[in-house]
Amino acid sequence: MADDNNPAADNPYTQTHVVQSGDTLSKIAQKYYGDASLYTKIFQANRDVLNDPNKIKPGQKLRIP
Amino acid sequence: MKKPSLWLATLAAVLVVAACQNQRAPAEQAVAAAEASLTSIRDAATHYAPDQLQAVDAQLSTVKDSLSKGDYKGVLAAMPSLNTAIGNLRDTATAKQQEADAANAKAKDAWGPMSTDVPKMVDALQSRVDILSKSHHLPKGVTKDSLAAAKTAVDSMKSAWSDASNAATAGDFATAVSKGQAIRDQASQTMHSLGMTSG
Repeated sequence: MADDNNPAADNPYTQTHVVQSGDTLSKIAQKYYGDASLYTKIFQANRDVLNDPNKIKPGQKLRIP
Repeated sequence: MKKPSLWLATLAAVLVVAACQNQRAPAEQAVAAAEASLTSIRDAATHYAPDQLQAVDAQLSTVKDSLSKGDYKGVLAAMPSLNTAIGNLRDTATAKQQEADAANAKAKDAWGPMSTDVPKMVDALQSRVDILSKSHHLPKGVTKDSLAAAKTAVDSMKSAWSDASNAATAGDFATAVSKGQAIRDQASQTMHSLGMTSG
């Protein structure tokens, strides 16, 4: 099945979000989880494209586990 | 005059008995051959044409009953019909078995991608359920009830997936695919209930 360290990485059924201008991981977490503090879940699922949770770019496609 | 008549009657009786005895071996051989023929297709017939097998068994039973009563002429007269019935049973069972084998081969092809696809759907759902369970507030469109239902659904899908995998391991791909498709449908529905549509 999926990679134990990042199960969402090779899973085509993991929801995705295309970063819009003004988005932050907290805002995205608020939208999908109802709780901004869960942004780390999104950060961990996207470590292959994100080095810093505060630096996301419009157009980036992020996995939402 | 009476003596020749008695002699003729005795001769006639002897001839009749002899004729009957002449039919005994062919009758016994014919029944044995029919039984052997039926035995060779019994497994397939039991599985694919049970009603037809029951009718042939009844026909064979009647013939064996005639044999045990010494009605060899009756046995031989009934054999063509019995052999035709066995032949028809063989044709039906073979056709249905081929049909089932073809369906199973088709299901086996479908099982290949399904066996990797469906667990990923369940994994994605499990991940979302776990995260939402830690959330202090649920996102728009998701209620406590829908989250609870999703948790139950994921557990149910895991159990059903185990059954589907076991069926595939046993070579019953038709059952495996049928169960797998039901899980896939349930997973899609549950994803929708949790708002898991990409955007």
